[in-house]
Amino acid sequence: MKTDKVTQQKIIRDALISIVLYALPVLLMLLSFRISGERPWKQHPQAAVKTTR
Amino acid sequence: MLHYIELIFTNLNGWGLPVIMLIIGIVEFSFGLYENHWTNNERILDIVCFVVPRIVVRPLIAYLGVLLLPTLLPNAKNIFAWVPFWWGFAIIAVADDLTQYWYHRLHHQLPWLWRFHRTHHSAPYMGMAMASRQNIIYTIFFSQIYLTTTLVYLGLGYPVLFVTGIKALITTGAHSSIKWDKPFYTIRWLKPVGWVLERLISTPATHHAHHADSSDDGIGNYKGNFGNMFFLWDIIFGTGIITRQYPSGYGIKHYKQEEWYAQFLWPLFKSRRKGSELSAGGPMVGDSVAVVPAAVAEV
Repeated sequence: MKTDKVTQQKIIRDALISIVLYALPVLLMLLSFRISGERPWKQHPQAAVKTTR
Repeated sequence: MLHYIELIFTNLNGWGLPVIMLIIGIVEFSFGLYENHWTNNERILDIVCFVVPRIVVRPLIAYLGVLLLPTLLPNAKNIFAWVPFWWGFAIIAVADDLTQYWYHRLHHQLPWLWRFHRTHHSAPYMGMAMASRQNIIYTIFFSQIYLTTTLVYLGLGYPVLFVTGIKALITTGAHSSIKWDKPFYTIRWLKPVGWVLERLISTPATHHAHHADSSDDGIGNYKGNFGNMFFLWDIIFGTGIITRQYPSGYGIKHYKQEEWYAQFLWPLFKSRRKGSELSAGGPMVGDSVAVVPAAVAEV
């Protein structure tokens, strides 16, 4: 038994939309840092140690 | 104040939720909301599904995560701990729930996956008793658990605590046979809140429709309404139906009251019921055989 073609096409279309949805909060966060000039990763000791290695 | 909120969510993710579920379950049972459907076979299945994942599967996944992640992602522990709380909250809410939406949707739309999710739909009632009811394979491969465990390792553990707590309350509420959302559709001044609520999160009306045994009444939508915490995904992808009504029957039309162990452990154990989806050589999707031969693939 196979999934019908229309459903298959919808799954592919919605999966592509989902990539944008997954990325959205990350992109909005980065945009907010750009606007505000915040650099929280530089203030966090653990992240700072990782970046200097 | 923040300390108390933190404490509530810490306990909610531990013993709190099972206790809440037990209390709501007792209320549902006392009001006769399971009618006469809670037979001995259903009872054993519901209890096994409530207990085993909590004492075996989840601790095992957490243990494996602690063991494997440092090997798979060395030097990555807490690398994203700098992410501000509310951004972390948004990232996890989307990552966790959208992944679960897909996991759930694919189990309905890909016929070969259906039998791993069928156990959750075979209950002819809604309520706390069936909220945790799943086949063991479905529970083990619950994809977003691994994603969230990884995000905790990467440093987003604090927002995870709150997202999982809120999500658990919403999904528990959506499965309850107590129709707590009804006032939002009937009381005039609450209606605008209801409009937003039913599009944003899963409610008894939208999630009960997903568990309906038929879509003939225009209320049931067992081929859609896949959202768990957020109903928003169904709105975005066009898989949702909102009617503000509750179906008259739950479960699956071709249910054969399969043995609890077959429902819990299929395909390791098969059902002896003739023609069952869970029997050896049984149909992949039962209603496609009974209603439309080989044409409709979904359930």
